[in-house]
Amino acid sequence: MERTQLIEELRRIVGPRGVVDDPHALMTYDADGCVMDTGDPQVVVLPTSTAQVSGVVQLAARYGIPVVPRGAGTGLSGGATAMFGGIVISTARMDKVLEVDTRNGRVLCQPGVINYELSQQLKPYGYQFAPDPSSQKACTVGGNIANNSGGPHCLKYGITASHVYGVEMVLADGSVIWSGDGSPAAPGYDLTGVITGSEGTIGLMTAAWLKITRLPEAVRVVLALFPDIAGASSAVSQVIASGLLPAALEIMDRLAIKAVNDMYKLGLPESAGAALLIEVDGVEDGLDELLHDVTGICLRNGAIEVRPARTLAEQNQVWAARKNAFGAMGRLSPTYYLVDTVVPRTRLPYTMEQVGRISREFDLPIANVFHAGDGNLHPIILFDRRNKSQNQRALEAATSVMHVSIEQGGVISGEHGIGVEKQDYMTLLFSTDDLAAMAGLHQSFDPHDLFNPGKVFPKGRGCGELAALRKAGVAWAELKSS
Amino acid sequence: MKPLLSQITSIVGESYVIESPADYPAYAVQGRTPALVVAPGSAEELAHVVATAYAAGVAVVPRGGGTMQPWGHPPVGDFLVVQTTRLNRVRTYEPDDLTISVEAGMTMEYLDETLAPNGQMLPLDVPIPARSTIGGILATAMDGPRRLGYGTSRDLLIGVQVVEASGRTSKAGGMVVKNVSGFDMMKLYTGSLGSLAIIVSANFKLIPRARAAATIACAFGSQAAAFALARAIHESQLVPVAVEYLFGPHPQPLSLSGRGESTPPSPARGEGGWGGEGSLLVVRAEGLPAAVERHVRDVSAMAERAGASGVTVMRDAAHESVWEAINNLPQSALVDGDELLLRLSCLPASLERALADAESLAARHGLGMRVAARALSGLAYLRVRGDDAGAQRQFHADLLGRWTQLALLAGPPALKAEVPIWGTEIPNLSLVRRIKQEFDPENRLNPGRYVV
Ligand SMILES: Cc1cc2nc3c(=O)[nH]c(=O)nc-3n(C[C@H](O)[C@H](O)[C@H](O)COP(=O)(O)OP(=O)(O)OC[C@H]3O[C@@H](n4cnc5c(N)ncnc54)[C@H](O)[C@@H]3O)c2cc1C
Repeated sequence: MERTQLIEELRRIVGPRGVVDDPHALMTYDADGCVMDTGDPQVVVLPTSTAQVSGVVQLAARYGIPVVPRGAGTGLSGGATAMFGGIVISTARMDKVLEVDTRNGRVLCQPGVINYELSQQLKPYGYQFAPDPSSQKACTVGGNIANNSGGPHCLKYGITASHVYGVEMVLADGSVIWSGDGSPAAPGYDLTGVITGSEGTIGLMTAAWLKITRLPEAVRVVLALFPDIAGASSAVSQVIASGLLPAALEIMDRLAIKAVNDMYKLGLPESAGAALLIEVDGVEDGLDELLHDVTGICLRNGAIEVRPARTLAEQNQVWAARKNAFGAMGRLSPTYYLVDTVVPRTRLPYTMEQVGRISREFDLPIANVFHAGDGNLHPIILFDRRNKSQNQRALEAATSVMHVSIEQGGVISGEHGIGVEKQDYMTLLFSTDDLAAMAGLHQSFDPHDLFNPGKVFPKGRGCGELAALRKAGVAWAELKSS
Repeated sequence: MKPLLSQITSIVGESYVIESPADYPAYAVQGRTPALVVAPGSAEELAHVVATAYAAGVAVVPRGGGTMQPWGHPPVGDFLVVQTTRLNRVRTYEPDDLTISVEAGMTMEYLDETLAPNGQMLPLDVPIPARSTIGGILATAMDGPRRLGYGTSRDLLIGVQVVEASGRTSKAGGMVVKNVSGFDMMKLYTGSLGSLAIIVSANFKLIPRARAAATIACAFGSQAAAFALARAIHESQLVPVAVEYLFGPHPQPLSLSGRGESTPPSPARGEGGWGGEGSLLVVRAEGLPAAVERHVRDVSAMAERAGASGVTVMRDAAHESVWEAINNLPQSALVDGDELLLRLSCLPASLERALADAESLAARHGLGMRVAARALSGLAYLRVRGDDAGAQRQFHADLLGRWTQLALLAGPPALKAEVPIWGTEIPNLSLVRRIKQEFDPENRLNPGRYVV
């Protein structure tokens, strides 16, 4: 189909203001937060309703044009990037909170609602949306669901998957389903569960019933300072092992502290090699006891100082520093490569040691800001993209981190998703049979790879091919049993 | 069956095949006798058995402890029962990571005993833990009262290995508590009633055992008053781990647990309203001692305000055994011939109306009813008893007319054969069918038993 004709038809569906086809304007859509991979869409549409999305999807299906869902584009694995061109459907104009239903502990919203805005709107009701990615001031709940995002408070409250009751989704034939509404035991399969984390590859979400969480009665925040990251990591391992359950346990290392210290007026001493941000919450009663136990473990692991954030303003300041730490990396280096991986929590100290070794080996500084309580590392490799050798070394260092993590029983992504960035690591964790089962699930939703093609599954291993392999199960069974 | 029998015997060994299941009525699945009962000793053997059955064109019914075999329809066609109970090992347990990987045939009780010395737990609160296996718990997605505080298996399952219909083995997830590497197949298999694949091992995120715990049992003269308390708790900033509404004779811990301890740990009959009949709201608090005491104080006071006729606080053994009794109420293993076990699912705020309907219908049809409901989650298990089959049928039809997500989990075969046992509303059926078709195109796993 001619591009001009396509654009004309799209205009008919979403209105003239809902189509972006100007080449300059399109350039802002050539990547998400992961600048390693880029791809240009032919056109971007910004629908305002489910019906419009369905119309666009039907058109795309008719002509076999890829559809790439996009929220705020803060993803860090290339998930919202149009690797094979096609139509990017942005949810930016579907940004309404439609119904707050506290009696059922849920909220109905459109996918383009910004995570932080949602919690702000819930506050007067005494509620919050618990998943709180550090990017929450920009990212959308649609992106959160698609990536099954995490955040500092997921340590206690669980990842996004535990906070979605149901989604409205436009499927590859343009039909619309609702996967659930908050009724806990509908018959059938857990479609909500499999849609969450499917990275925009099986359909486009146009609304969601999300679980809302009552705000805690009391919150305490302290910052424990350590001479080095080893002490902070072993403190975290021990807090977890001793069965204490803080709301958040986040580590920032020396480089990260350097990046945020002045900007957020934290006034942390130069001697601090690592800061462990500890938050506990719940009913007032018992909180001090919990905090006392946690800080006790910190002190036994060599903490040089424990600083409580006494006022709400102080708490917000500490959290702002933590949540904006990636952004602050710009003060240290022109570009950075953020690696996302998770290890079992006892392996944290050893893995962090290895990250230090990798930094020395590839001669690139690596900052660390991460969800320590979950074992979710984020080594941030600092480099200059314009320098070819640094570029190469950054990639190699990232791969090394991944190998160390897997060797320690870790996985290739804790929260940022596979997208394009990690697709070739998938075979390090999964066999062909494992991937084929995932492909089978994918095919039952999107048999012609309309949505976000070329993602998640290893390059050159198309979903269709994997699923076909699996369908040949009879031959396989005979082979094995003979 | 001869060639199949010899093939299967050569895989698992003679001692682990029952050639004439007709002699062992316990292995019949809702009155249907399997061709063979096979108990593989490892995931590999199980895969081999399933592949062999697949090649022979015979269906497979997975079985753990058998406690939930009454669920769903009887299987159609010839089938093997593949018993998982020999798959009962711990695969990996690193207590300090708070994760464990176990084989699917392990019982919940055994898992509990493995975790307890390390002060850890998997708080799923399933009925009959001594027989319920991990595989069965996942396949049925059976929940428990503490879903309010800790979630269900859906939230705690972090990895899985399955044997698919053709005998192919695949896995997903891992041994870390946060993981988005690949699709979340764990969610697909959980609650699929063995219709997509057979779970052979499962990895869980564990929860530290609380330092303190207490039960606040509040008796009420009416259902409305009990739910007024539930609403007040929902609106407060308290964080109880369970809020259970009970109706009918109050559970008797000893008779249900069958342990025969000499001194009853439960409160004496009549004390604080416990031990009689009627509406109870039972609240469970866990955590730090001070936080638990705060819940005891506040919930007791709120109960008084809601007009409770009695409030009983229980700790230690009494607390434990009361919850054991409550957890067992929805069990389907020991359903009597004149009893229906129903599961009603609705939005949390609608539960009160649904249960009011159920209570008045039971009264109208002259049926006895016990209810165990997750009061803040919108889920209720009803045990409805009476010797008049017509009255039971009418009760079911009337309730189903008002509440579409009503599953008949166990009951007289004649009734089950006749009514929509999964309720009148199965959402997204065509997509559900496509998934079944993709995973089990020949319909070999639990054929006919679930919604597709
Ligand atoms: C500074 C910074 C900090 C971050 N911190 C965290 C963190 O703490 N935890 C964390 O988990 N992530 C974090 N991220 C990653 C990212 O913000 C999250 O993945 C976020 O959820 C993405 O949301 P988005 O709206 O930007 O989605 P996008 O990047 O636009 O899209 C992400 C994926 O979702 C799909 N998608 C989006 N909307 C829909 C829809 N409506 N229907 C179907 N598919 C859809 C896209 O196709 C894509 O695959 C961070 C990123 C940055 C830049």
